Amino acid sequence: MSSQPRSFDPDPVSPRGAGTAALGKNVTIKGQIFAREDLIIDGEVEGTVECQEHRLTIGPNARVQAGLKAREIVIHGSIQGNVDATDKIDIKKEAKLVGDIKTSRIVIEDGAYFKGSIDISKAGAKAASGASAAAPQGVPVSNTASAVANASK
Amino acid sequence: MKFGAGKGVFSHFSDKDTRPTLSRKSSGFDQFCSILQSYENLSILDMSGASQANISFITGMGHRISSDDVIGTMVECFGKDFLANQQAASNAQRFLDKSFTFPEASFDGALVWDAFQFLTSPLIEQAINQLFRILRPGAHLLLFFSANEKASSIPVYNYRIQDRKTLLQMPRQGTTDQKSQYFNNRRIEKLFERASSMKFFLTRDHLREVIVRR
Repeated sequence: MSSQPRSFDPDPVSPRGAGTAALGKNVTIKGQIFAREDLIIDGEVEGTVECQEHRLTIGPNARVQAGLKAREIVIHGSIQGNVDATDKIDIKKEAKLVGDIKTSRIVIEDGAYFKGSIDISKAGAKAASGASAAAPQGVPVSNTASAVANASK
Repeated sequence: MKFGAGKGVFSHFSDKDTRPTLSRKSSGFDQFCSILQSYENLSILDMSGASQANISFITGMGHRISSDDVIGTMVECFGKDFLANQQAASNAQRFLDKSFTFPEASFDGALVWDAFQFLTSPLIEQAINQLFRILRPGAHLLLFFSANEKASSIPVYNYRIQDRKTLLQMPRQGTTDQKSQYFNNRRIEKLFERASSMKFFLTRDHLREVIVRR
């Protein structure tokens, strides 16, 4: 990850909604954070972060040493701690996550660094199993499936 | 161009990696999946680092998966030349300190892939001891070793599961081809003499597939 702080737009399609709080790259917090709206963290946090029923976004400049809980968690930066998302976890290719994951669904981009265990809830595991059965070639891997397909033409 | 097991042209790493991804049939992995199907809710360690394909496949079978990028740790500790730079005791110790850092008896199975073929004595024996520490009795491991006596160097791959019979071998970005070591059956048996059983699989390419039972 680049050492230069990067500007970060978590949602390039639509602007940040009215119900979204943000901690910028120059903010450092040690302690517990509770949010009742969507939250973006792009600074340093040590402690715990809870955004029940909401979306938590960890920006590319973020360095988080904390346990995280939210409905949905999107990770661009660095996390050391356990991550619990009731709905979905999305780990981007520049992310670094060391800790255990508990969620219903997980999306991880090639290039992301992850060390830890993944616990998928029963509902999420059944959905993944259904998706695998419907796609006999296996779950598509974004870059490699097209590379192999193109090479075999 | 069609890909088959063992076919493909390799080149040294450049800024734009043009090495092809190979699609490979694997009897060893198929057998490993049969073992997984016999049980519920197992904990499996994937030593190829985290990937969507592997996570979805293993969790889709109803098991838990953990990830540890052992090749990534080798790159961090040994740099460009794995075999030469692991001879330095400090590098070897760093590798052992960073690898397999899970609690004792955490896993029922491990997808080692070909990571251990880049380790030499005494580090390979120490790594196996450390791996066995985090495995439960009866755990199964799937390992690949180069079986090409004539190869002077081999690429470094990430392994991605396509289905229970097919794996994708993706050249790992940021690595160069590494000096090859030849592993015959006898050498592998000696490495895993503590294991309760071992099964070798015939392959058409220069890769020896082994399932070891702790």
